[in-house]
Amino acid sequence: MSKNKTKLNLNRRNFLTGTATLAGIAATASVVPISIANANHSEGKKGLPNFINWKNRDALIVHSDKGIETHRSAIGESLITPNSNIYIRNNMPTMTDKQIGDRKKWKVSIEGVKNPKTFTLAELQKLGHATMATILQCSGNGRGFFKHKPRGSQWKTGAAACVFWTGVPMKTVVDACGGISGDAVFMTSAGVDHEPTGLDPKKAMIERSVPKKVYKDAMLAWEMNGVPLPNAHGGPLRMVTPGYFGINNVKHLGKVAFTSSESSVKYMKKSYRISPIGKKGSQYPSCWEMPVKSWITRPTDETGKVKAGKVQIVGVAMGGTKKVRSVKVSVDGGSSWKRAKFIGPDLGKYAWRQFVLETTLSAGTYNIASLASNGSDRQPELRMENRRGYAHNGWKDHSVNITVV
Amino acid sequence: MRILRFLLISFLCIIFKAQTLFADEAKMSKGLEIFNETAGCAACHVLKAAGSEGNIGPNLDTVEGLNYDTVMDIVTHGLGVMPAFGEDEILTKEEIDIVSFYVSNSVSK
Ligand code: HEC
Repeated sequence: MSKNKTKLNLNRRNFLTGTATLAGIAATASVVPISIANANHSEGKKGLPNFINWKNRDALIVHSDKGIETHRSAIGESLITPNSNIYIRNNMPTMTDKQIGDRKKWKVSIEGVKNPKTFTLAELQKLGHATMATILQCSGNGRGFFKHKPRGSQWKTGAAACVFWTGVPMKTVVDACGGISGDAVFMTSAGVDHEPTGLDPKKAMIERSVPKKVYKDAMLAWEMNGVPLPNAHGGPLRMVTPGYFGINNVKHLGKVAFTSSESSVKYMKKSYRISPIGKKGSQYPSCWEMPVKSWITRPTDETGKVKAGKVQIVGVAMGGTKKVRSVKVSVDGGSSWKRAKFIGPDLGKYAWRQFVLETTLSAGTYNIASLASNGSDRQPELRMENRRGYAHNGWKDHSVNITVV
Repeated sequence: MRILRFLLISFLCIIFKAQTLFADEAKMSKGLEIFNETAGCAACHVLKAAGSEGNIGPNLDTVEGLNYDTVMDIVTHGLGVMPAFGEDEILTKEEIDIVSFYVSNSVSK
């Protein structure tokens, strides 16, 4: 194919006035200020985009400059995932230092409470202090296993991480505002990362409602694994909704409101709905609670051939919103199962646990799988088919084939 | 006689090839126009070949495995903040075909 050398001039005026077709996307594509949009975007060293050039390239699979996954074997060697290995999934471009300004003066407003207030980060830091571990997992983690090829990044296991957050409990903030007002049903959090783009907030604002009860364990976090929350992960302040999919853990947080109805933005009403293939709409469940899930991190096809003899099969297991109770491991594709041992500290029900099964394998090929239970639910064998490839926790697709020599 | 037939067929082949080349060329420049102007893909995406620098969606030169079908699918149905150009009738079927052809033949070039 011959390359087309003509470069059309991007005429902003032309964009703004637009044609009849452009009217349809008015206030979306038409008003993007190109110079701002490109602020942190140029490609950095090591084949990672500049805004995350501090990450460990070797630990990451680059699906695109905005969809970056952790290698299966780069998760789970210790309980907490190091920041340098954590996946990136951006709906809006990461805000720059310049756009953020003085971090201490970052503002978040609290509404739907008896006494609505706006706090700066410095004020929040005086209000309370706590640390907790939770799992951050993209709703589409496992999409790469779906056979109908849903649109979006083809994540396998690596759009997930176990993270220590430090911040102020949401409950402390609510108490400081005199409690939740009357008829609230949801806690609705909104980011401000769409603001520099100039896009229509109805289409671009990341505003997510979750059931009100989530506030009891939620946190406004400013630190991630011991360092100030990196911009790429939503710094300087992020909502953490334990047990709920990544999208609800709103980045660059500007507002938390207790509301009687769900947010009406596109990212709540239309996106992130778990609907049958070929169907869509806000009548289908939103990506909220994460289901029980586990996967093996070593050995895998990434770690190469395994030597015959004693083998340690290692992985991570999560219970979703409940504590994970047990994990079984199979080396014969699910025909027989053995109970694995939990290792390492228990960081609470919202963190994952590492497990290990020591076994002896002779030369041959094996399909190894893991199956977790939280007491009430256990992983199904098969994926729940759905249009956008969300919430996959079937054990069969997550199994790995290894060769023992 | 044989030689004549061979020459004739070769000649027809050349014409045919030239014609598709010409058609592809035309499609590429029309595609560029749709990308940068009509649809405004450029405002949201980097694509070196188009000289575009948008940073709302992924840099299309970095997206793995883009082909005609995947571009066509996402342009038709949209995703997240990206408009559904087909479903919402922002572009015609023909324009979607052309821009998908253009993008899938332009990435990483
Ligand atoms: C308003 C901004 C916007 C406009 C305009 C836009 N896109 Fe996108 N596009 C996005 C975003 C955001 C994504 C990522 C969506 C996601 O993963 O949730 C995307 C994703 C894509 C992808 C898939 C990338 C992948 O990771 O698989 C392709 C291909 C694409 N766009 C092409 C186009 C083309 C061609 C046009 C013009 C016809 C266009 N886009 C117009 C914002 C936009």
